[in-house]
Amino acid sequence: MRLLVVEDDLAIQEFLRRALVEAGYQVDVAADGRTAEALATEGIHDGLIIDLGLPDGDGLDLIARCRAQGNSAPVLILSARRSVDDRVRGLEQGGDDYLTKPFALSELLARLRNLLRRANPPQHESTRLRIGDLELDLVRREAKRGDHILQLTPQEFALLEYLCRNAGRVVTRTMILDHVWKMRIDPATNVVDVHIYRLRSKVDRDAPRPMIHTIRGVGYVLKDA
Amino acid sequence: MFSKMLSRPKNTAAWRLSIWTTIAFAVGSAIAFGIVYYMVSLGIRERSDQWLVGESETLKEVSNATPRDNLYQRVMEETAGNAAHEIPGERDSENENQDAVFFLQIDNLGEPLWYGPNNERELFVQAVHDLQPGSPQTLKIPGNPVPYRVVVQEVKPEGRIYLGLSDIGAVQLLHRLTRGFFIVWIGMVLLGFMISFLSARRTLLRVESITQTVSRIGSDDLSARLTESRNADEIARLSQTFNRMLDRIQASVHQLRSVTDSLAHDMKSPVTSIRGKLEVALLEGSAADWREPVAEAVEGLDRLSQFINTTLDLAEAEGGALALRKEPVDFGALVEQFVDIYSPALHENHHQVHVHVHEPVTVDVDLGLTNRMLTNLLDNEMAHLPPGCRIDIEVVARENNAELVIRDNGPGFPAELKAHAFERFVKGKESKGHGLGLSFVEAVVQAHGGNVEIADTPGGGATIRIVLPLAPVSVS
Repeated sequence: MRLLVVEDDLAIQEFLRRALVEAGYQVDVAADGRTAEALATEGIHDGLIIDLGLPDGDGLDLIARCRAQGNSAPVLILSARRSVDDRVRGLEQGGDDYLTKPFALSELLARLRNLLRRANPPQHESTRLRIGDLELDLVRREAKRGDHILQLTPQEFALLEYLCRNAGRVVTRTMILDHVWKMRIDPATNVVDVHIYRLRSKVDRDAPRPMIHTIRGVGYVLKDA
Repeated sequence: MFSKMLSRPKNTAAWRLSIWTTIAFAVGSAIAFGIVYYMVSLGIRERSDQWLVGESETLKEVSNATPRDNLYQRVMEETAGNAAHEIPGERDSENENQDAVFFLQIDNLGEPLWYGPNNERELFVQAVHDLQPGSPQTLKIPGNPVPYRVVVQEVKPEGRIYLGLSDIGAVQLLHRLTRGFFIVWIGMVLLGFMISFLSARRTLLRVESITQTVSRIGSDDLSARLTESRNADEIARLSQTFNRMLDRIQASVHQLRSVTDSLAHDMKSPVTSIRGKLEVALLEGSAADWREPVAEAVEGLDRLSQFINTTLDLAEAEGGALALRKEPVDFGALVEQFVDIYSPALHENHHQVHVHVHEPVTVDVDLGLTNRMLTNLLDNEMAHLPPGCRIDIEVVARENNAELVIRDNGPGFPAELKAHAFERFVKGKESKGHGLGLSFVEAVVQAHGGNVEIADTPGGGATIRIVLPLAPVSVS
């Protein structure tokens, strides 16, 4: 997968490039709208990450021009503007998702994966998820760890499903709130942690090794050993 | 202080004001005098014309009754002389009277008969030549600046008599009147100018003193106030208005300063701790050791950015700049969903939560803002309640409003905070929050046209009541 990162702040551009390369993408960078447009017209990118505040014009114009030239690669907008209005305008102009600065790197990666998956949908959606000895039946809403059936509330099942779908990748608290409860909120208190704590007590209690791990300062990750 | 004003009066408004009022006064009184002058001269002319007509009738009768003999001339001269004694107005001497009146009879019987200024008979004979009998007419005599009013009468058997009265009396009277008026007028204009200048200056000096005081008020010293005089005229009201404005400005500046202080404090401590933790990470030797301080630094940054976000939200909301994207929302279901998210955390603190949604309640709200508002409310409960409290959350429709009541049996609002609970950066001594939560709640509720109030729960604890207008019922 090849990505184009358009960001004029070179420090941010560099850490994005490094993080994306680390995550396995090929990355091109541009610091202004003109360079970006030239690169985008080649049509070789699977996804664009565009900062709205560019030295030579608005990122929204850049997106509009790319779309006008028939570039249909998904666009993730980065912006320091955080009002709902800007967000909606960004999405109306052809952006596919919107992330305000400052953002967690893991959230950017997750959103990017989402966008790319939507652009290239998998052939069939599995009704079962299996990570190690943890197995989720998405139809019957049932979870098993080994032979042991886990007694989960619907909320806990949804949370576990989200962690499993992102197995091996870190998810932040905001991502959990956004995807499990469909709420873009920023609680000041430890609401999410308590949910995870409860889920962990059911999933990991009787197991020899824990699957749900806390990454301090970032979020949580579910992985097999 | 007022030296500038006193040394150069021509630049002051008082000067211009009094100049203009004086000009208006002078012109007005001059016009009034003109009218009086005209009426007086009309009156004088009327009186002299009456006299002329009357006396000329007398002369005509005498002439007709007197036979043309040697005595005729004496009789006519005497009659004319008698008439001259009775001319209207005052005369100082007999000579003047004689100069003011002339009598002339012209016929074919002999020399013209003359009574009047000596040696001027021929001049008058020439001048009256074109006059016709009738009402009094004005006659200019060459070489004589003052005209005469003349009446012509036909006498028998033939000939005309002319009786003339000089306007000299009227001219002198009007001249005296004009001179008198002019002297009084000059005095009045000067006096009027002085009075209006002094009173205007007195008034405008008060304005000047306001200017001086206000210009002294800088951002450093907002405490100066104008003296408020007891009378309630415009300038006193101006001073009062200025003082009220200064009060408000001083209050806002004070508020701004305390907000900035709190902001600086609330931002400095996380920055300091983040910096410290990162420095520790750099100092420590082994790779495993730096993970912990770096993770703590990231958490600190998250809190900091959340604080910045809330501050910005609040500034937007209070500035009325919130662009609301309203949609109909089932308020009860939304509250239940939030309690769902929060209930594990609340149970963790051994709180009992009871939600009562009495009926479906639909409100027209911006969902994003309402979510943040509910987050703030529940975070607030979590942050302030000691473990083991009971929280009752109720959603009801009351009249045209939806009401959300959150009632707890915790320690309640500290008495000293109750009046200011919704102000920014107001927080309890024990609070770990930044004091923006309830301010944000209030701003959002008010942006939606609702209101929020706090009260004590009967038996102890705090109650927050939020009232939002119900969505208009669509008739389908």
